[in-house]
Amino acid sequence: MPVQGIRTVTAARNGVGAFILQCKRLDFHYCDWAGSSRGMVSFLKNQLTAFAKENPQIEIRVSPRPHKHPVIKGHFINGREKAVCVRNLEPEQIFQKANLLKQNSGEKNKRTKKPVTSINESVRGIWSPYHGGLKGV
Amino acid sequence: MFSRSALARAFALPLEQAARPSLTSTTTTFRACLHQSTATTSTTNPPPAEPLSAIPRAQSSAPIVQQTYNNPTTPAPATRADVPETKQPIAPTFTNPLKVSQSLLSTLPYLTAQKPHYITAHLHDRPYLLTEGDDLRLPFLMPNVAPGDILRFNRASLLGSREFTLKGAPYLDERLFECRVRVLGVDSEPLRVKEKTKRRRRHVQKVTSKHRYTLLRIMEVKVKSVEELQREGVVVEEEKA
Repeated sequence: MPVQGIRTVTAARNGVGAFILQCKRLDFHYCDWAGSSRGMVSFLKNQLTAFAKENPQIEIRVSPRPHKHPVIKGHFINGREKAVCVRNLEPEQIFQKANLLKQNSGEKNKRTKKPVTSINESVRGIWSPYHGGLKGV
Repeated sequence: MFSRSALARAFALPLEQAARPSLTSTTTTFRACLHQSTATTSTTNPPPAEPLSAIPRAQSSAPIVQQTYNNPTTPAPATRADVPETKQPIAPTFTNPLKVSQSLLSTLPYLTAQKPHYITAHLHDRPYLLTEGDDLRLPFLMPNVAPGDILRFNRASLLGSREFTLKGAPYLDERLFECRVRVLGVDSEPLRVKEKTKRRRRHVQKVTSKHRYTLLRIMEVKVKSVEELQREGVVVEEEKA
């Protein structure tokens, strides 16, 4: 029996058909006492409901974290987690940080030089010197 | 460079719809017909009786449509028909119909039939060789797009399959193909630190930068078939003998 290669199964690619936002959960941590949480507390009181209403696909948790700086933690579909410290930030800046986590893919930040990454096979095939039009020199 | 449809941006919807209800009667047909994209034929004709699949639905449940997007239990709009009329992308208007030579029309079925296809799409005059399902990280942050939005690339120089390639001179007409991409989100890079020094000074200045990039995924690369082109009113040019 000849050796058979492993058949490739179609990989799920988010966005080709349906699209699911990569950020699934945002945890907001604050401290009631500390001054570095002042902006965070204001954000939670005034802007968080609007933010949550705009993004129904993201689960939002708010919990105190006493005697620590305020933090936003984003949990992503790929299992990774990103935390942003928002100490001494204004509510608008915290909103920007929350947006940053919302739009993020959850992957580790990498420096890439090629814009296109593909898992498809080459459309035109691999060039072979033995096939196709042979050209005499 | 690209036409966009804000599928996922349904949040700002009630305000938008309230702002311009008067537009809908005249422009409905052109907005919805991006798939059958010839506005050239439809500009001359009066709007047909049933231009849209969205119209009867909107008439039956117009107030409910606005509410559904803020409701977390209903899913995000998946197809064009789920998007309200005011948020439909505006189809480009062409002044003259697509002209195709007889030889192209006779050989186009070979290209159309042979899947998969690749495309060299140009964005800000940079070429990107794309196939369906590819990831594209643009070398810049695209403004005014949100994750989930669908863009359509309309500038391409090459369109091909395994054995056939359609070359543009320098670009192909945008009515020959459809290339749609989905905005996935915004990516970042590790912090760059550039060390700057001056002569005879023991001080190193560290300049940092961190750029952000838009992530896209190619949803569709499609070469239109001859039948589709004919339905859209292609003009066949006679070749000189």
